Amino acid sequence: MTISENESLLDNTVLFCRALRERGLLVTPSEAIESVVVLDLIDLGNRQETFLSLRSVLTSRREDFPVFEELFEDFWNRLSRTPKPRKLIERESEHQVRLSSTRRGKGLAFFLEHWGNAESREAESISTPVASSTVSMAEKDFSLFTSEELEEISRLTRRIVRRLARAPSRRWEPVRRGQRVNLRRTLRRSLTTAGEVIQLSFRRRKPKKTRLVVISDVSGSMDIYSRILLQFVYGLQTSFARVETFVFSTSLERITAHLKQRSYDEALGRLSSVQGWSGGTMIGASLSAFNSLWSNLVDKRTIVIILSDGWDTGEPSELAASLAHIKDRAGRLIWLNPLLGSPSYQPLVRGMQAAIPFIDVFAPLHNLATLRALEQHLVL
Amino acid sequence: MREEIRKIQEMLRGQTYIADAAVATSLYLALRLGKPLLVEGPAGVGKTEIARVLAAALDTRLVRLQCYEGLDAATALYEWNYSKQLLHIKLQETSAESADEKEARIFSEPFLLKRPLLEAITDPARAPVLLIDEVDRSDEEFEAFLMEVLSEFQVTIPEIGSIRAMHRPHVVLTSNRSRELSDALRRRCLYLWIDYPTFDKELEIVRAKVPALSASLSSDITRVIQTVRGMSIRKVPGVAETLDWAAALVALDTSQLDQQVMAETAGCFLKDESDLRRFESEMEAGRLDEVLDPTISHDNI
Repeated sequence: MTISENESLLDNTVLFCRALRERGLLVTPSEAIESVVVLDLIDLGNRQETFLSLRSVLTSRREDFPVFEELFEDFWNRLSRTPKPRKLIERESEHQVRLSSTRRGKGLAFFLEHWGNAESREAESISTPVASSTVSMAEKDFSLFTSEELEEISRLTRRIVRRLARAPSRRWEPVRRGQRVNLRRTLRRSLTTAGEVIQLSFRRRKPKKTRLVVISDVSGSMDIYSRILLQFVYGLQTSFARVETFVFSTSLERITAHLKQRSYDEALGRLSSVQGWSGGTMIGASLSAFNSLWSNLVDKRTIVIILSDGWDTGEPSELAASLAHIKDRAGRLIWLNPLLGSPSYQPLVRGMQAAIPFIDVFAPLHNLATLRALEQHLVL
Repeated sequence: MREEIRKIQEMLRGQTYIADAAVATSLYLALRLGKPLLVEGPAGVGKTEIARVLAAALDTRLVRLQCYEGLDAATALYEWNYSKQLLHIKLQETSAESADEKEARIFSEPFLLKRPLLEAITDPARAPVLLIDEVDRSDEEFEAFLMEVLSEFQVTIPEIGSIRAMHRPHVVLTSNRSRELSDALRRRCLYLWIDYPTFDKELEIVRAKVPALSASLSSDITRVIQTVRGMSIRKVPGVAETLDWAAALVALDTSQLDQQVMAETAGCFLKDESDLRRFESEMEAGRLDEVLDPTISHDNI
């Protein structure tokens, strides 16, 4: 291999790694260096071998595979010098354009994103019509909230975090008084009295934390409620051992990692760019996808919250079967339906009717009072 | 394919582990780069087996750490032998040793109980294979601790000092994805996803592991299992279930697979009552007919 070939291999690898990182993979310079090391260890003429080796270094979860496969194609073509040169670059810039356009749009999403920050005061108010002030705040529908009123949600969240009760877990922690003797400490302390045990140390079970799985409908009309629920749930995060979040409209997407690292807004933006955004809701299909891929996340210490209005365009039997499965595994299954807030609403939607037998808690979620009421269901 | 990778594949085959190129390549890189290998995939596809087979192939020891919720550093790394310490103190009560000397004595290696992680890094002879099984079952606190050990291969015991690995163990982590592992841990590892095997691979596994089963029955049950995986059931059978079934058919001296035999032995690969019912109704609906009918089955699929 000549020097220039070597250089182009290095360049291409670095470009490849950068493209992967742009698309959300866990690739840092140290992985890039490792890829170069790896390329030296393998047969570069063999496509499969190069593919498998780089995949093993540069991906870190199965969900990374499609992106990797797609970009590897470009990488490989560049290596074998077939003319397809500018593709990597184009995709990068495309991506950046999309990012900045989502950043530009302010409004409710922007506000939710930044609340708690000092700058959030400057957030523009949301574009929904403001209701008359005679409606008391607790009863007011979220869709009519102004940004100051949304602040109330974050205050409520903080209050609830402090109150959520806790059950014992399997971990131990030292305490002054307790029922179980902490041998390590007792012995340690006995040394100061020449090995005579005079004072006992104790330990107890650490408080247990419940897990939460939120599966939220983000199709059209549900969008505002799901944003509020997710923001609420993430405010509660410290009270739970783990919070896992999924959104669905026509198909299911796991956004836990996005919510942790990037923004909810960007996660939603990605989602809508991938799928038909308003193409009807497939609750049954989404929940059965959840069951087949992620049912490991649900156990008796997990509370599952589903937020949806129950307008399912799929088969009610599929919805019933997947809900039955979730109910079997979960500690509690909560279905939140914003439409329940309307006095005239009867759960007559076929999907909703199929769902009701399997639900532990069927509650509305459309204003502060209902959000507050949710608290009591969040302790197992 | 690179000669070394082919060798690894053969080495694994020597231990009756049928590895495809992805498994062999990842193992090769893990051994060459000295990085831990994180293996994910559905239950029963042979994730744990990789470590076992690797240890056998390298002719070294397998140290296994089974993770569970609440697993803490004391259980994974080391613990002091309290009763021995207490006894020692009692026996030495009248000795002239000062308190400091006594303390130094009871907090020394003879009083240390080594747990798997310490065991793995203090092997004096050669690098063992360290299997950290179902790491997703442990909690985040333990994961952070694990990362520390895996990055330095050095642990610090306050009473003794730091202990550095004499031989860096080959580390294999498995996860069933019951929770998302931290990005930091993922970055530290090479990644391998093992899926359900293809028909050819699975048949090869059945032939290698249960040689007593006839060739035609082996391909029959493999075909049935592959079909079952396509049904919408709760607990999809893994390779382990296929092998259980194969062994059961050998024990029952079955010569031909028909509906009755399947109904009687379906419990070997379906572990859920509603799945069993589903399977039976699919069978009655004829979805398995072409799998079973000897006239069309063998070249069709």
